[in-house]
This record gives sequence, structure tokens and C-alpha cells, in this order.
Amino acid sequence: MTKSQLNIIETENLGKTVPTSDGPLCILSSVTLTIKSAESIAIVGASGSGKSTLLSLLAGLDTPTEGLTKIKGKNITTMSEDGRAELRNQLVGFVFQSFQLLPSFTALENVMLPLELRGDKNAKASATKLLDRVGLSHRLTHTPMKLSGGEQQRVALARAFVTEPAILFADEPTGNLDSKTGEHIIDLLFELNQEKQTTLVLVTHDNALAARCQRTIKLEAGKML
Amino acid sequence: MSRFSLALRLLLRDGRSGELTILVLALIIAVTSSTAISLFADRLHRTMSTQAAEFLAADLAITSSTLIPPHWLKKAQSLGLKQARTAEFSTVLIENDELLLSGVKAVSSHYPLRGVLKTTQSDNYNEQIIKHQGPAKGEAWLEKRVLSALKLKLGDSLIVGEKSLTISQVLTYEPDKRGDLYSLSPRVMINDADLEATQVLKPGSHVHYFFQFSGSTDALDKFNRWVKPHLNVSQRLMDIHADRPELGSALTRAERYLGLSSIVVILIAGVAIAMSTRRYSERHFNATAILRCLGCKQSEILWLFLCQFLILGIASSALGSLFGWFAQETLFHLLRDLLPSKVANPSFIAVILGFLTGLFILLGFALPPLLRLKKVSPLRVLRRELAPLPTSAWLVYSLSLSLISLLIWQYTQDLKMTASIIGGGIISTLIAGIILYALLIQARRLLPFVSLSWRFGLQGLLKNPKMTVNQTLAFSITLVAMILSYTVRTDLLNDWQNQLPEQAPNYFVLNVFPTQVAPFKQTLRQHNIKNIDFFPVVRGRLVKINDIPVQKIVSKDSQGERATHRDLSLTWAKILPHDNKTVSGLWQPSVYGEVSVEHKLAKSLKIYLGDKLTFTIGSQQQHATVSHIRSVKWDTMKPNFYMVFSPMTLADYPSTYITSFYIAEENKNILNTLVKKYPSITVLEVDALLKQFKTILTQLTEAINYLLYFALLAGFTVLFAAVNSSLDSRVYEGALMRTLGANRALLRKAHFIEFSLLGLFSGLIAVLISELLLYAIYNYVLHLDYQLNGLLLIGLPLISTCCVSLAGFFAVKDVVNKSPMIIMREL
Repeated sequence: MTKSQLNIIETENLGKTVPTSDGPLCILSSVTLTIKSAESIAIVGASGSGKSTLLSLLAGLDTPTEGLTKIKGKNITTMSEDGRAELRNQLVGFVFQSFQLLPSFTALENVMLPLELRGDKNAKASATKLLDRVGLSHRLTHTPMKLSGGEQQRVALARAFVTEPAILFADEPTGNLDSKTGEHIIDLLFELNQEKQTTLVLVTHDNALAARCQRTIKLEAGKML
Repeated sequence: MSRFSLALRLLLRDGRSGELTILVLALIIAVTSSTAISLFADRLHRTMSTQAAEFLAADLAITSSTLIPPHWLKKAQSLGLKQARTAEFSTVLIENDELLLSGVKAVSSHYPLRGVLKTTQSDNYNEQIIKHQGPAKGEAWLEKRVLSALKLKLGDSLIVGEKSLTISQVLTYEPDKRGDLYSLSPRVMINDADLEATQVLKPGSHVHYFFQFSGSTDALDKFNRWVKPHLNVSQRLMDIHADRPELGSALTRAERYLGLSSIVVILIAGVAIAMSTRRYSERHFNATAILRCLGCKQSEILWLFLCQFLILGIASSALGSLFGWFAQETLFHLLRDLLPSKVANPSFIAVILGFLTGLFILLGFALPPLLRLKKVSPLRVLRRELAPLPTSAWLVYSLSLSLISLLIWQYTQDLKMTASIIGGGIISTLIAGIILYALLIQARRLLPFVSLSWRFGLQGLLKNPKMTVNQTLAFSITLVAMILSYTVRTDLLNDWQNQLPEQAPNYFVLNVFPTQVAPFKQTLRQHNIKNIDFFPVVRGRLVKINDIPVQKIVSKDSQGERATHRDLSLTWAKILPHDNKTVSGLWQPSVYGEVSVEHKLAKSLKIYLGDKLTFTIGSQQQHATVSHIRSVKWDTMKPNFYMVFSPMTLADYPSTYITSFYIAEENKNILNTLVKKYPSITVLEVDALLKQFKTILTQLTEAINYLLYFALLAGFTVLFAAVNSSLDSRVYEGALMRTLGANRALLRKAHFIEFSLLGLFSGLIAVLISELLLYAIYNYVLHLDYQLNGLLLIGLPLISTCCVSLAGFFAVKDVVNKSPMIIMREL
């Protein structure tokens, strides 16, 4: 079933300037874009072009110095930090380059975590199901230290999708993986994305990966091309 | 699943990984020590009060000029208290054409409730000890000099008032000598049942009644609370501190030391907790960022970690309280030979207080670093370099300082003193921190000129000077706390030893006439008792201060009030006793009409320098101006005086002399010689008091030694916490250097240099701060002399350097022993 093609993310003149010892540094400027529901978007650009900054502003992890971001029509720029946290819990999933799993939790516990934060009583069952989906049903009780890079990223994927988020943000998800493992991860990412009809925002410097998305946004020196 | 389960799970996982070991250890040590000290001090205090009660002949006594209402006695009875009564009055005895003013004491059954009476039935000093009973009805026990003065012997009759009594024993000792040594007219002790028959007491007669009670602590407390509001102006409860100042002084000082020890351990443990929590907090930045990313709110983050620490705190405090209980039980077991067979029971409230202290310390020292976790940005998942701003330094220091200030104030009970100690500590710490920071900044210039290992070692300290200063100060404060504890203990014990050497005076002799002094000294010299001081005494009563009657000035039931209700022993001297220290003014012995006043009495009577005092001596009035106020060491077993006059002031008044000296047990027959040769003298044996005093001091010494170990244990946890707190970055850098080719010897040397310098700086700063604080504590809290300690100045930095370098060396040994790859993975 296809979700309604509404605008799920909108930005207007989004920009980020940071103070430095040499004066203000403009990382991002005048980014105006619209992302529709269930769309897959790749944000590409060279290192230092502002990709991760744009992702962080779209996901509400940071606040812009200019412009605004709306998610499902709500202006997240003016929301409080706790407001954005709640929104993340309800609508957003993340996959990071460095996996970002809790080192003292098992694979199962890492995947359960976002559901537990919501107060979901079926967290364990849902997490087990998803770990099985990503092929790790035999590694439920293992901590990240006992998992390979690829396995850790699969756990991260399971965690990202367990809440059935409206939007998934992925920041260089294969950056720390070899090419073969990375390919498997990407395949899994897109499979899950298709199953869940999630809007995917993917930051990458890999053009081949960007080509798998429906649309590409190119950044250069903080500006959208 | 609830947040609580998540918090518990996080806690258990962190606990298993060893993250919280030092923190838990520090907290357990703090609570164990705090509980053990407060339990021990409380039980010892109550036990010693019981022992000291022997000198009241009871656990509790009410003095009154009239009989107390019968229902008071019924109340005491209903609480299960034993009772006794004594009545003391003066009367003239006439026998064999001789007259003698004597002090008669009529005692009831069960007297003395505490302590013993000693009597003899012969001329020598072979005494028998009599418990809980005085003379039988129809009998009288007399002091030797009554027999001498009235030319009586055992078996003769003595008429007291209208009653004839048989002299059956010679009284040599009674435990509850009242007031000062001179409230002792020669003693005649009779049975209470004979009192009425004497017909001496008539309406308006001057008599002191002493109603004595003994029993369980609970019952005594209840009776004490009940009777206090009922007392009128002529009645009061007797107090060991006021009525036995020599004992009270030692007790107070010991209790203060125990209290200070407790604060020291808490402070040290607090530093360890703060450092461990800081490291814990920094190690959880990433996990917190992930939780924030997944939707955890700031308040929820704080709750998650606070919850963990509360669980930790409750468990550790409970364990610490249990250990504290066992620790004080062990101590009492070790001291069982020194303590009475009946020791006061432990108080449950002290255990609860220890438990609450643990929670208090944990929150006070752990909260500031934990608050930082609340500020972790979710953006840290993308930018690892983003660290939350440290919690406002003011909040951190305010919380910790408030806690310490509260504790110090609780034990000194002096706001001004607390402020001085805290203020002095803060100022010296700040100055030390600034100097160290400047030193570190300047030390960068040395880098190009030193060897590689020195450069790496120095860079460890210089890369983040603020953190180095914080770490150094934290360790310095720990060292200061330990030094305070050790130095105060040592000097306290030495001071007691000096006051009570093996041959401290065990006999007082009073009523030596001036013409007898020289031959008396000669007699003593013949028996190898030399260098004995004799002090002149004139009996007088203070009646006015600046021409205002004293009754209008003094507060009810104060030390001053009691001092004005009786004659004082006034003396004069050119040179004040060497252990009398000047508090204010100048002693001018050559000036007529000058007086030096004991400082506590001066404070109680609101006497200041320049005040004019008026005394009644016999039928005359004598004025004197206060030119000097001094402190007196009451616990020296030597004659001490509230009022010392310039010699010319009292020289014309009839006087007698008092002295004290030591006589060994085997030489006690010397006293017979003295009494026979000088029948007017009064000989008082203070052996029992002395023995008791020494026993109490020995008990306290053992306790204080024992408690020092807690401070040492706490100090070691801080040492490891201090080293561990910055371990991660050191280990990482070391692993990187090994990967790049640095050999183990180079790394070991660099680490050794870094930690040695850290230890050296900490030791030097600790010396500076501790000298300042010791001066303040000695002078204002413990009232002891303080002298600069050369051993401390040199020894402390050396010890600190050794300890920190060894601890650091041990902590980072993995860096040189494990494969760098393994270390990088573990990080």
C-alpha cells in the first residue's frame, strides 16, 4: 500500500552559521526543499559540503541559524528540545556510519530500546521479529563487541525500523564497512524501506548508492545545486 | 517497560563492567566510617558519662536547698530508677573542750549509687571499699582530722546537735566531693535516719540536699526531660562538664576530634565520588546522545541516571551502615578490657544517620557531574567532538562546600569558626590553583629543551592545564584532609600524655599554714618528693562587677551563676602557671589590685578587661581590676584557679597553702608522717580520678587510632579515582604511540614523570593549605598550641609523589603490556 504523497519534510531558506575564532563560518545557506512521503532522497556532496549538517537540521538534531524546517507540517525549528525529542521518538529512525549501538546492551536490547522509550509493552516481540528479519536471530544476546561491523549495522537497521518510523535518516550507513558488506546492508536498507513505505533521507558521497534513490540533492560549499 | 527497569538494567550493566567500582567503594567507606564513628562516639559518650557519673555518685543528681516534692521521687520510682539522698550542712562540734566547724553529710540507704566509699579502722592507710551504704543508724564516720582536732578515737561518742553517735570508721574517700576542694570542712558522715534526731536543721537552716538517681539511659533521659521544667531557682541538675571540668574538657575535645575525623573521611570520600562520577558521566556522553536521538527527553535522561545513582546510593549506604555497625562492635570488642562491663547499647538513630549521610554525600558530590548528561546534544551522534558544557563551576563548588560547611558547623557549633575554616580553605585553594595554572602555562616553554620522555610526560599535564589544576587540587584536598586527621590525632594524644605523665600528681594537700610551708617542703624533700609548687589560697566570694551586684548580671544555671553562689579559692602569683595561656590583656604582678580571670568564667560572667571586681573576704571587701584573661588546662591534676591576683593585693589576708604531688603506691605511708606532723592539713587522694581519667584517655586513643584507618582507606580510593579519571585519554594516546613505534621504556618513563609531577604538585599545595587550616583548628577549635611541622613540609610532597606515581604506573600498565590493537578496540 502506498502512503499518500504528502510533503513530509519542508525547508525554507535553511541555513547554519557557526562562530569560530576567525569569525562566523557559514556551513549551510539558503536550502529550500520539499520531500514527499515514502520518497527516497540522497544528499550528496564532497567532504565538508554540509551534508551531515543538512541531515541534522532535517532530523531536528540541531537548530538552524536561518530559515525553518517542517515535519508533517509542524515547524520543528521553534519547538523545544524535548518537543523535538518526542517527535524523533514518534516519527524518525536513524542509521549512522559508526552504528551508535549501546555497548553494554545486547543486540535484542538495542533494538528494543526505542520501543521501550515509547512505553511499548510488546517491545521484545517486535524486536525479535525484526532481528530475525535482518538475519540475526542467532545473535540476540550478543553485545556489539561480539558482532562484526556488518552485523552491528544490521542491528542498527533493525533498531531504526522497529518503530515503523515515517522518516528514516541514514548518514553514510556503509562508511565503515567493506564494499561487499556495504552492498548487503544497502540492499537490506532499501528492502525494509520498501516494506515499511518509509521516507528515506540518505547522506552519502557514493554516487552509485545515490543512484538507487528516487532523487538526489547535491550540495557544494553549503549550497544546494 | 518502565523507565525504572531501563535504569536498573543500565546500572547492572555498568556495574558488571567495573565502571562504578571506585564510586561504590568510596561511598561504602564514607558510610561505614560515618556510621562507625557516630555509633562509637555515641556509645562511648554514654558509657563515659556513666563512668564519670561515679563522681556524682549517681547517673543524675538534683541539688536543692529544700526537699523536693515527693511526687518527683514517685515519678523516678515509676521509671525504675534507684534513688539516694544526701544532705550536707555545716555545724560546730564540741568535744574534749575542742571546737571544730565541720561539714556533716547525712546519707540515705543505697548511697553512693555510683562509685564507692573508702574507710579505714586504723592509723595506716589500709582502706576498705564500701559500696552502696554509709554509716549505720547510730554511727558516724569521721575524717582523720576531725579525730585529731577533737581528740577522739574510734569507738568514742560524737555528739552532733542533740544526737550522740558512735565513731565506727575513719572516712578516707567519698566519690562526690562537691564544688571545689574547699567546700570541704572536715567531714562527718552520718545516717540519714539520724538527721532529725540531731535537731540541727531548723526552718531557715543552710543545707544542701542532693537527690541522686541511677538506672537505664532511657529512664534517666525520660526523668531528666520530665523534671527539668519543674526545677525552681534554687534547684538544678548537676552536669559532668560543669561540675567536673577536668573530665569534661577531655571528653569535649575527644568528641570534637571524632567529629572532625568523620568530616575528614566524608570529604575524602566525596572527592573520590566526584571524580568517579565525572569519569562515569563523560563515558556516557555517547550513550546519552543515542538515547536523545531515539527520543529521550532531557528530564528523562536526568531521571534515568539519577535513578541509577539513587539505587546505588541506597544499596551502598545500607551496606556501609551494616559494615559500620560491625566496625564499632569490633572496636568495642578490642577495647573490652578497658571498658566497664556494661557498655551503652548502640543507638539505631546513629545507624539511620550514617545511612542518610551516605545519600547526602552521593547526591552532593555526584549531582554536578550527572547534571552534565542532561545537556548532551543528540547531535553528538554525528559530531563526536561535541561535549556538553561543564555544569557551572559555581554550582559544583557551592554544593560541595555547603555540605562540608554544614558538617564542620555541626561539630564546632561555632558559625564564625566554620566560616574562618571554610574561608581559609577556599582562599588558600584558589591561590594555589592560580599559581599552579600559571606555572603550567609557563612550563610549556620548557618543552623544546627537554628529552622526549620528559616532553611526553609534561605534555600529559600541559595539554589541558585546567583539568590538571582540578585534578591536582582534588588530590591536594584529599591529602589535606588526611594530614588534618593524622596531625590533630598525634598532637591530641601527645598533649594528653604531657598533661598526664606517669607520675602525674595523685594527692592534693590543703590547709597548709604559711609557717608550715618551708618545713613541709623539707619533709617532702626528705622523701624524695622535690620541686613541688605551693599556692596561697584566700577564700572569697565575688559580689559585684563594676559595682553592679553579680546576681543582676549572670544567667540562670550558668557556670558564672554557680561561681557566685559560693566562695572561690583566690590566689596570687608573680608568675602565672606555665600552662595558663593569655587570651587577652597583660599580666602585671607588680601592680596592686590587678586580677587575672579564667576565660570561660569571664565569658559566663560577662567580665572584660578593665572591669572592676569586688570580692567579700571575711568581713572585708576587696576590689581588683581585670588586667588579664587566660585559658586554664583543667585536666592537669594540678591546682588551678579562676582568679589570680597580683601578690600585694591579697598578701595581708589570712591564707593557707595548697599543693599537689605524686606518691607511689608503695610509699603511701609518707602521708601518715605528714598527717601526724601537720594535723591541720587535709589530704585528698585523687588516684581514683586519675586512674579513671587515664583509662578514658586510653580508650579514646585506641578509638582515634582505629578511626584513622578509615581516612587512609578513603584516601586510597581517591588516589585511584584521581588516576582513573583521566585514564582513557592517556591509554588511547599511549596505544597510538605504541602503534607509531614508541617503545615500552619510553612510555613507562613518560607516565612516571607525569604522575610524579602530579603527585609533587599535589603534595606541595597540600602542605600550604594544611598548615593554614591546622593553625586555625588548633587555635580555635581544639585550644592547643600549634607549631609548624618541618617533617610535614618535606615529607608530604615526597610521599605524595611516590604514592601518585605508583598508583598511576599501576593503572596504565595495560598501555605498555597489551597489544595496541586490543586497546584501540576496547576503547
